[in-house]
Amino acid sequence: MDFHFNKPEFEDATLDFHRFVLLVTHRFSDRIRFVGELEVEHAFVEGLEEAGELELEQAYVDFLLSRSINVRAGMILMPIGIINERHEPPVFYGVERPFVDTFIVPTTWFEAGAGIHGEIGRGWRYRTFVAAPLNAREFSADEGLREGRQKGSEANIGRPALTGRLEYLGVRGLTAGASFWTGRSGFEFRPRFDVPVTLGEFDARYTRGPLELRGQFAQVAISNAKELNDAMGRSVGVDPNIARSLRGFYGEAGYRFLSTASSGEFGAFVRYENFDTQFRMPDGYVPLKEFDRDATVFGLTYWPDPDIAIKTDYSVIRNQSTTITAPNSFNIGLGWWF
Amino acid sequence: MNTLFTRSGLLLGLVTLLAGSAGASSRIAAAAQSETVDIVAERFSFSPSEFRVKAGVPIEIRLRSDDTDHGFRILETDINVRIPKRGKAPLTVTFQPPAPGRYTFECSHVCGAGHAFMRGTIIVQ
Repeated sequence: MDFHFNKPEFEDATLDFHRFVLLVTHRFSDRIRFVGELEVEHAFVEGLEEAGELELEQAYVDFLLSRSINVRAGMILMPIGIINERHEPPVFYGVERPFVDTFIVPTTWFEAGAGIHGEIGRGWRYRTFVAAPLNAREFSADEGLREGRQKGSEANIGRPALTGRLEYLGVRGLTAGASFWTGRSGFEFRPRFDVPVTLGEFDARYTRGPLELRGQFAQVAISNAKELNDAMGRSVGVDPNIARSLRGFYGEAGYRFLSTASSGEFGAFVRYENFDTQFRMPDGYVPLKEFDRDATVFGLTYWPDPDIAIKTDYSVIRNQSTTITAPNSFNIGLGWWF
Repeated sequence: MNTLFTRSGLLLGLVTLLAGSAGASSRIAAAAQSETVDIVAERFSFSPSEFRVKAGVPIEIRLRSDDTDHGFRILETDINVRIPKRGKAPLTVTFQPPAPGRYTFECSHVCGAGHAFMRGTIIVQ
């Protein structure tokens, strides 16, 4: 559960019950399990309006065959980055997720698909899935791939995408991983043409005592972006200025203090992010500089219980435009899980 | 672009370097009568998720959570306990492997979206 107060500069504040999540699980046997996650976003869902979303983020069956190979099928989370598979509010600093995990990696990224996962020994584990691809018709200059998620809703699976992650957990406190996603996303256009999309990502997080460090880098390549812009321009009358490459990275340091079992603990953090949804443009296109952004986010979290986080932060956001400014924001959040 | 690649690479390198300096791994301390293993649970992994012990020796498993309360269950045994939340004292269970072989353990308390990933193996030689 995730409840936010957001006050962007020069705008009125808003209160938003951002996420209400119901997790359902069932064990058919020791080797066959079901996991489901149903989420209401922004508290209210209204047809054909951008008021909120009711999302089936996970609904899969796991067939646990052996330590090294297990089969998963259904609605699954794409195994990309730190946040997408591990997005409960108490486990990350900041009221909102990192911008990189919004504009470059479109979390929460879930699709219908199937694949295998397992551990291969000495701290290494993997997962790889085929899933429905992104829909390039919904890409945008501002939010990149984000609106292209089909979300398992009558998803076109003519050419399935492939995704995977290799993760190392062999040193206590360290999780390091690398992920990829590749698929062809031009299936909605007539005549058809290919829009191959590839995302590469690597990340690490490390905890030692009260110190917590995180870093992530992600880059997206969109082939045939010029043809994509031409096709969308013809259909809607406005050229969407979609880039051929998007890129983002962040580094974060957090420190926990005043920890007691009875009264909880505090944590302070600072995160620097750089994210650009117009990183490289097709020939003949000029990048929109307001989408070349960086952010410094700093704040405090209080955990009265490890499953409840009361958060506050301030986001200083800058872009490269000389005419359009990015508003800073002050945020307060309450997140919990049980 | 190269500079930014380099910066981000250095950042992740620093994280990895700090981790390496910790040099921590599974602490298996041989004692006269038993072996002791420290396991830390967090969403969504056990650390270590695999360890080896000698046959015929009881294993004292000390369980601690880095976040919420997790479960610890060794399949095909009667061991199934709740690991207390972060900040609480570790829980210790004793496991006497009935025979050499591989014993799978897992989180038995639903702890979030990746709960099913929380599995590990005890190798008794």
